[in-house]
Amino acid sequence: MAGSGADSGVRRPFERLRRLSTTADGEPTAAVALLAAAVSAAVLSPVAWLLLRAAEVGVSDAVRLLVSGNTLSVLTNSVALVAVVTTASVVLGVPLAVLTVQTDLPFRRFWTVAVALPLVVPSYVGAFAFVSAFGPRGVLAGVLAPLGVEIPTIYGFGGAALVLTAFVYPYVFLTTRASLLSFDTAQLEAARTLDTGYRTAFRRIVLPQIAPGVTAGALLVALYTLSDFGTPAIMHFDTFTRAIFLELNTFARSHATLLSLQLLGVTAVILALESRIGPGEADGYGSRTSTDTVVELGWWTVPALCLLAAVVIVTLGVPVGILGLWLVRSGPGYAAGGLAFEWTFGLNSAAVAAAAALVTTLAAVPVAYYSGRTDSRLGWLIERPTYVGYAMPGVVLGLALVFFGTKYAPGFYQTLPLLIFAYVVRFIPQAVGSTRSSVMGVDRALVGAARTLGETPRRAFRRVTLPLIAPGLVAGAALVFLTTMKELPATLLLQPAGFTTLVTYIWRVQEAGYYGRAALPALVLVAISSVSMLVILRGENT
Amino acid sequence: MTHDTDDTTETDRTADTTETTATDQRRERPQMLNRLGAPKSGVNGDESSRGRRRFLAAVGSAATAGLAGCAGLQSDGSGGADAGQVAFSDFRGSGRLVESRPEIDAPRIADLPDLSGELTLYLGGGEGGLYRELVALFERVYDDFTAVPNAGGTAEQANKLVTEGEETPADVFWSVDAGSLSVVAEEGLTAQLASETVENVPSTFHPDRQWVANAGRARAIPYNTDQLSAADVPDSVMAFPDSPLADGGIGWAPTYGAFQAFVTAMRLTEGESATRDWLAAMQPSVTEYPDEFLTSNAVADGEVAGGFANHYYALRVRDARPDAPLELAFTSGDAGALINVAGAAVLGPSDNAELAENFVAHLLSAEAQEFFATRSFGYPTVEGVPPVGGLPTIDELEPPELDLSKLSNLEPTLRLMREVGVL
Repeated sequence: MAGSGADSGVRRPFERLRRLSTTADGEPTAAVALLAAAVSAAVLSPVAWLLLRAAEVGVSDAVRLLVSGNTLSVLTNSVALVAVVTTASVVLGVPLAVLTVQTDLPFRRFWTVAVALPLVVPSYVGAFAFVSAFGPRGVLAGVLAPLGVEIPTIYGFGGAALVLTAFVYPYVFLTTRASLLSFDTAQLEAARTLDTGYRTAFRRIVLPQIAPGVTAGALLVALYTLSDFGTPAIMHFDTFTRAIFLELNTFARSHATLLSLQLLGVTAVILALESRIGPGEADGYGSRTSTDTVVELGWWTVPALCLLAAVVIVTLGVPVGILGLWLVRSGPGYAAGGLAFEWTFGLNSAAVAAAAALVTTLAAVPVAYYSGRTDSRLGWLIERPTYVGYAMPGVVLGLALVFFGTKYAPGFYQTLPLLIFAYVVRFIPQAVGSTRSSVMGVDRALVGAARTLGETPRRAFRRVTLPLIAPGLVAGAALVFLTTMKELPATLLLQPAGFTTLVTYIWRVQEAGYYGRAALPALVLVAISSVSMLVILRGENT
Repeated sequence: MTHDTDDTTETDRTADTTETTATDQRRERPQMLNRLGAPKSGVNGDESSRGRRRFLAAVGSAATAGLAGCAGLQSDGSGGADAGQVAFSDFRGSGRLVESRPEIDAPRIADLPDLSGELTLYLGGGEGGLYRELVALFERVYDDFTAVPNAGGTAEQANKLVTEGEETPADVFWSVDAGSLSVVAEEGLTAQLASETVENVPSTFHPDRQWVANAGRARAIPYNTDQLSAADVPDSVMAFPDSPLADGGIGWAPTYGAFQAFVTAMRLTEGESATRDWLAAMQPSVTEYPDEFLTSNAVADGEVAGGFANHYYALRVRDARPDAPLELAFTSGDAGALINVAGAAVLGPSDNAELAENFVAHLLSAEAQEFFATRSFGYPTVEGVPPVGGLPTIDELEPPELDLSKLSNLEPTLRLMREVGVL
């Protein structure tokens, strides 16, 4: 039907495009490489501002700052926080993924959604909820105190690690889950017919295959932890982001940028580590997805349900409960003016997040395609830098773009395109990550088979490759959408005049201490983002 | 005159009640007030609205307040009945503490040139939307005035302005923190204000006329009147550790910015080691609270006998709980009496300097000053506008001699507080 004469005129440009983008053996061509490199360079550009500002610091001053006791303790704190949060997220995320994918757990769909949802809660809202629940004179502290239960202080390292883990472990859950879904359970069956226990089989067969997924999630957790400002600030724990914020607060921009560069150094180390233990070229994703029950829980059902319930109560129940409390409880005895909530804030948020998701996904495709299809060093060099923006504190990225915007693109300054560019820089690794793994998962043999059966390259691409990477694209876009929804610092710096989103409104009322007024927009934010979480899970054939 | 003032208060209260029950019916209010018999003759004639405003200004504040909601400050030019009428009482807050405001003896909006055109306004902080509300009132007064606000944290906005430099699109920087204004001024980005603009503001609040304070917030010592008398609160904050105040327990919020600014002030005036000793000596008597509203509320509850807080938090508590046994004491000449201010600057690179300067002048009008005093319980900076709650006026307070921009150097303070274990 598509092979009619009229169609061939259309086909030729497509074929040319196809030929342009891949060489005969499936390696992407220079054109794709160039495009990918361009995207990579663009998202790396804010670092130039850092170097420019850091250069203003005298060498001796810089050295003194970098080796001062304070900086070293900030470094230690940050590294420790990253290590603990990442480990805890893996320890929590992997079992939850196994439970919801491979067991006969009751209400699996419900639990899948429930344990993934904490990701939509902005960390500053979550941290604040935790403080008002467990902090000094907190809601729950007050309830538990007469019962003789004393809650250890929520502030400091423990609180920061707890809160961050609670709201970012779903990264590991989601990526692990995706790997488990694509895992061919027949292998596991085979192992078990050979009389291997599930635990051994899991260790020897499942784990190696889901390792790339787990590491991908862990990387996102680690970098998010490095760049998050809200949680350490609210928990009074000195990390790079808090130190940078303090420097900016005292208007020492060059010191702040020096610290930012140091933070990026830590990022580079993490990225290098990840690529060492990270994705082996696991082939075969996309052959089929499976949620077949592999393990019958038996009497383990009860402890499993308890674990899930506990996780959901802490990560979702506490913040939503506290927000609900704020919503019904009238604020302190003074009324604010000019703070009326408007539903258009929600629309603004959703619209700008959708635009950011679209642009980010489009920008991610060449990078993901190139690095997923090539084994060359260049692919690595192009893909890795896209993670830098993700680890950069939003306020630093924001200031960098303020600088470039006013100096080189005044027409775009304080307009939506520049704001969306900031989101692209910040969140592109999420789209690159999920798109890349789906590109890698497309069995080249499948494309080959399609060609053998007489399909044109274009049709082979459309009928084989595209459907296979589409879930990856959608999942990446949805992830970008929900993280854009909750991004605050860069949004505040780059917002166009008169453009109020949910987060800038939350910031506005919270800044004045009208916490009660933050409840409604925060709940709306969580609700809208939940929809994109459903999209992510739906894409995985829940 | 006394009689006149009483009338005024009564009418004003009626207006306030109307406002709280029917905020969206402002346009109908003149009629309602007419029915209440408030307006006097002479202002409903054929004069142009501009002339009417001049006249109002001349009548004096008592009479003007009496005309609240009736004649209003109609926008120039249109003069029609459909123009948004804005009365003095529209600027004034409501609530118990505002019920008996005296006459305000200060220049009014009517004395200023009209605001006209579009103003790009960088807001640092903004007291949770209150500043936007004031801007909205100005926009109601003047039909062809629009302010385009761009809001962020105070330091954030200052950093943004400094990063933008000469390319900044902003005309005015209006920030709730003096330090952020100083930084922008030090970068040479502010334009000097005209001396007429700032003439009614004490000179400490317009350093070199690079910016001018529109409202202040004073550090204060809220104390529980059931437990302490004013005499129990020492005149010097350094004497607190061995005072009856300390015996009854003191509440503080060490994570709160204003408290950290107070410790910074102490560090700058008394030196690091004295501050360290003071913090350590205070620790056995203190209870920590997450913010200073809760600190003040705890003082009212008697959980602690006294506390450290910005003055307006106690006023908010008293506004909500009129019977609260809560009073404010002020120390003198030391960090405990620190006053920080919100202020505004005209930006040098602005090509809209005339409007920008006029906007700043409007922030110092009697109406705006009354707005800051009664809506957020801030300290008015213009002479002749008293604070609410029977507090001493701003020139009666004795703040320490201190360059407010130095307060932004927070890191040594935080280090010190951490060393002692306060943070």
